[in-house]
Amino acid sequence: MSPPRYGRAFWIALPIGAALMAFGAVGLIGDSGVGAGAEVGGWLVGADVAHDFVLAPLACLVGAAVARALPRWCRAPVQAALLTSAVLIIVVFPAVRGFGRDQVPDNPSVQPLDYTTATLTALAVVWAAAGVWLVVRLATAVRERRRPPTRATPGGPPTSPH
Amino acid sequence: MREQTTPRIFTSDLRDERTAALLGVALGVTFTVCFVTGVLSHLIQDPPSWFQWPSRPAGLYRVTQGVHVATGLASIPLLLAKLWVVFPKLFAWPPFTSVAHLVERLTIFPLVAGGVFELFTGLADTHLWYPWPFGFRAAHYWVAWITIGALVVHLGAKWASTRAALFARETPDAYLSDAQRRSDTHRRRESAFDRRTFLATVFAAAGAVTVFTVGQTVSPLRKLALLAPRRPDTGPQGFPVNRTAATAGVVESARSPEYRLRVDGKVRRKLVFTRDELVAMPQHEATLPISCVEGWSTTQRWRGVRVRDLLDRAGADSAAEVRVQSLQRRRAYRFSDLNHWHAHDPDTLLALEVNGEPLGVDHGYPLRLIGPNRPGVMQTKWVTRLVVR
Repeated sequence: MSPPRYGRAFWIALPIGAALMAFGAVGLIGDSGVGAGAEVGGWLVGADVAHDFVLAPLACLVGAAVARALPRWCRAPVQAALLTSAVLIIVVFPAVRGFGRDQVPDNPSVQPLDYTTATLTALAVVWAAAGVWLVVRLATAVRERRRPPTRATPGGPPTSPH
Repeated sequence: MREQTTPRIFTSDLRDERTAALLGVALGVTFTVCFVTGVLSHLIQDPPSWFQWPSRPAGLYRVTQGVHVATGLASIPLLLAKLWVVFPKLFAWPPFTSVAHLVERLTIFPLVAGGVFELFTGLADTHLWYPWPFGFRAAHYWVAWITIGALVVHLGAKWASTRAALFARETPDAYLSDAQRRSDTHRRRESAFDRRTFLATVFAAAGAVTVFTVGQTVSPLRKLALLAPRRPDTGPQGFPVNRTAATAGVVESARSPEYRLRVDGKVRRKLVFTRDELVAMPQHEATLPISCVEGWSTTQRWRGVRVRDLLDRAGADSAAEVRVQSLQRRRAYRFSDLNHWHAHDPDTLLALEVNGEPLGVDHGYPLRLIGPNRPGVMQTKWVTRLVVR
């Protein structure tokens, strides 16, 4: 990796960005609506740590395991479906666990569905799409293998564009 | 200058500058959209003296807030993918190679922490899930400024390399030998998960999140909203509520025969109405959305008394502004303010009915405010007093 170079854009952006960050930090400390400013700091650090030392390593491990375990021909659709499934589960998990609904037991309009069924339905759509993709890929591969080589000229030296 | 190296354990060839640059541009767009629509929503709810939110177009807030939530949700796969691509850089050695590099790397912390914090707290808020001890709205708002500031610095730092990565010409096909070309096509076909497939997957995941949630505000797609915390057609009288009468502690006072609506403040005549007297007044009908800050919205047919008719009867000034007060005792949202545009808009109503039925108590019986182009939290329920100012 070559060392990064910093041009004029960086030195213009730095004071602007620093001012915006300072405005946010001062507001965070001074706003009585926040209530617990120090706790926000803790949650910010926690958000970073949870990503960098839990979620990201987990994603790398799963990715590496899938890449090793699966044969090449089905890897792309399966990896794509896994990635999409993970994102959908992140989006819906509070509803699946009933987080939020448990705070307002008298309000059935919050998280009104059976979210286990709903999530499985959404995942079924994703995996069905991945299945179609896989079939199309295999069909294309088979057709290309059957086609006799058409090119008469073997690879020569680099051709000039002129 | 010394060169930085990243641990060899990271082997994926998807982690290149171009992938990072493309995801970075996408995130730059979505975070900016979220920031602008979010600051707007904050200004509407807490207007400083220089800011007056108009009452028209009636559905504008529904669009800006719908976009805010949908864009935030779609940013989740974009942010996670981007962080995965640049993850090895976290462990680069030496940690920095110049003072500017150190400054840039230090601002990565507020960028990543702020980005993850904003998306997580925003997602949880749409579920009405508050697993933290601080006030959501204020914290989400101020951390947005920190995040966007860090994003500006990051943009400046990456400006040149992003441009280079995006606009670099790949070797034109004509310069390649047939053998190279074949091996290239071969590699593209055989490579299990190449850059294009990866990016397409990330954007497809963002699309899937949108398809499965956006029906909470785009009613025709409501049947697809499998992963959304709300359905615009589900709730008492066929649409959602955020706060029930029981939770607000107003069930008795709302149903009490002692209930009155008072109009006072800067008026020539103070007025007091029973519910029956309000029913006997000229009624006006309006089809208006109720647009929740949490991202769901739904259009209903409302019927009731125009606020401006009440202001005329009380002899209020034509530039009058109004504070609308609820029967609720506590809570920040027990009242909301109508600026002169909202107070005098012909569709700003104190509604008695919805879709031809009397309002249910969870929707604000005996009387609720409903007006064009307002956040749902400012459509005060269980209205008992208008203070003219």
